[in-house]
Amino acid sequence: MTGASGAAPLVAPGSGAARRGSGTWLLVAPGVVWMALFLVLPILTIVYVSFWTQTTFAISPTPTLDSWRTFFSSDTYVGALWTTVRIWLIVLFTTFVVGYPTALFVGLFVRSKTLSTILLVICVIPFWTSFLIRVLAWRPMLGREGAINILLMRMHVIDQPIEVLLFTELSVIIGMTQIYCVFMVGPIAFMLARIDRNVIEAARDLGAGFGRIFWKIIFPLSLPGVVVGAIFVSVMVLGEFATSGALSGRKVNLLGNIIVTQVGSLKWALASVTGVVLTVIIGLVIALLLRVVDLRREL
Amino acid sequence: MESRVLKPILAVYVAAFILFLYGPFVVLAIISFQSGPDGGPQFPIIEWSTYWYRQVFGLVPPSRVAPLPFGAALIRSLVLAFMTMVTSTVLGVMTAQAFRRHFRGSGLVFYLVVLGMMVPGVLTGLGISLLANNVLGIDRHWFTTAFVAHVAYTFPFAFLVMLAILNRFDASVEEAAWSLGVSPWRTFRKVTFPLIFPGVLSAMLFAFTLSFDEFPRTLFASGADQTLPLAIYGTFSVEIHPNIFAFGVLTTLFSFALVAVYAILLGLSFRRARRAALQEDIA
Repeated sequence: MTGASGAAPLVAPGSGAARRGSGTWLLVAPGVVWMALFLVLPILTIVYVSFWTQTTFAISPTPTLDSWRTFFSSDTYVGALWTTVRIWLIVLFTTFVVGYPTALFVGLFVRSKTLSTILLVICVIPFWTSFLIRVLAWRPMLGREGAINILLMRMHVIDQPIEVLLFTELSVIIGMTQIYCVFMVGPIAFMLARIDRNVIEAARDLGAGFGRIFWKIIFPLSLPGVVVGAIFVSVMVLGEFATSGALSGRKVNLLGNIIVTQVGSLKWALASVTGVVLTVIIGLVIALLLRVVDLRREL
Repeated sequence: MESRVLKPILAVYVAAFILFLYGPFVVLAIISFQSGPDGGPQFPIIEWSTYWYRQVFGLVPPSRVAPLPFGAALIRSLVLAFMTMVTSTVLGVMTAQAFRRHFRGSGLVFYLVVLGMMVPGVLTGLGISLLANNVLGIDRHWFTTAFVAHVAYTFPFAFLVMLAILNRFDASVEEAAWSLGVSPWRTFRKVTFPLIFPGVLSAMLFAFTLSFDEFPRTLFASGADQTLPLAIYGTFSVEIHPNIFAFGVLTTLFSFALVAVYAILLGLSFRRARRAALQEDIA
């Protein structure tokens, strides 16, 4: 027994390391192959098909720039591009403004760990309702005879129902803000909770007011959380089409809506051009956000 | 901090924030009790009733409102979510296990995997359907093309959960097993896996819920047979009745049940771990 256990370590390091070396690649390979085949290849396919020739009823692999010309010479498509950018910027701003104070409370002001966990769970619970049903839930809320109008009229704040609440750009923004603001709250609260309380104490002892402490210490330290939240919100809003479709009555057309419509009418090449434009925008946005904060250093 | 002034203000704000998060859903739940079949999806409530809940289960006589075509779609979604859950959890555990030691190209592999949660579903879905439909010329189905798209989305979540768990994992217990001559696979099964099981459960829960609710990828990548989110989306284009709201309430309750099962399993595995630790102490 002693001989066996004494001999084993002598053999194990060399052969074990070699076995684990190739073992690493065996472990990684399935995941890598899966992502290469079912994520990278499809996206390259979008780029490839965007140069195909589209006729009314069919599509052929003859290379052409026609679809690209159609996209950039059409007011509808270029308009959708700007609408997407505008809605993205607005929702990024509203989710930040709505989410930051909540994150501040949960991450910094609540002393008890239990309470902050409970608050975070409360924020997450709505995600167990189907996304589409959450979107749909805004209709009886915002409509002409919706909850908000009825409530405001009962309270005699208004005499006439507010018409702009539903089937406008405003309703899309309200809906998206509610659906995505939690993705801002989580990462910011996480970063705020990591702030060393002694630093804040020290600043206060030195006579700094809350405003000064906030802008000089709290906000800069929470910035990585803001960037992570912004990346989440950006990726989801830029790829949206269901909320804009269901709450704007087809008045707000995002790039995502264009893709859905084009695929629906079998205009694959044009859908691909729109897809490439969307990919480029998302790539730029993520690169820009990562410029603001070096995430790998901060996390 | 000026917490005496600021804290109450923020507390009120957070209450308003929670109202904002839950408001639409409360309204939806109220309207799901609208009278039927003539009551519409808006206020006022003509008469409180459970008509629309019974309508979801097909327990009312046929009326001008067609029943929701959700039965087969629900089963497809459950099967798809289960397949996705198993596959992405296995991939996630394997990949995260490999990341416990540094290897060349690990940065690249990391970004390749995480890309799956960064690319919007509308692009993954479009790409997969182009690849299948136009380049390869194969049919799209919910259990083939949509399935691989789902895993490409949920696998990164499973991977990150497992990575977080394995980062905090004490490797010395494994080394102890190895030095006693236990084979790596047996060590994984008998030592590592029981210890990381809570993480595996979280990864499974993530993958299941994400896949069950997945919409944009499925919209493009699945064929003629609809999954549940597609069936719900289909009702958007026609007139909406409170039955879809009743259905929303029911699915939420189902999700709660799912989370409860997860919590119970987690509690059981903790208790088992504690009992095992106690036995060791006694021995």
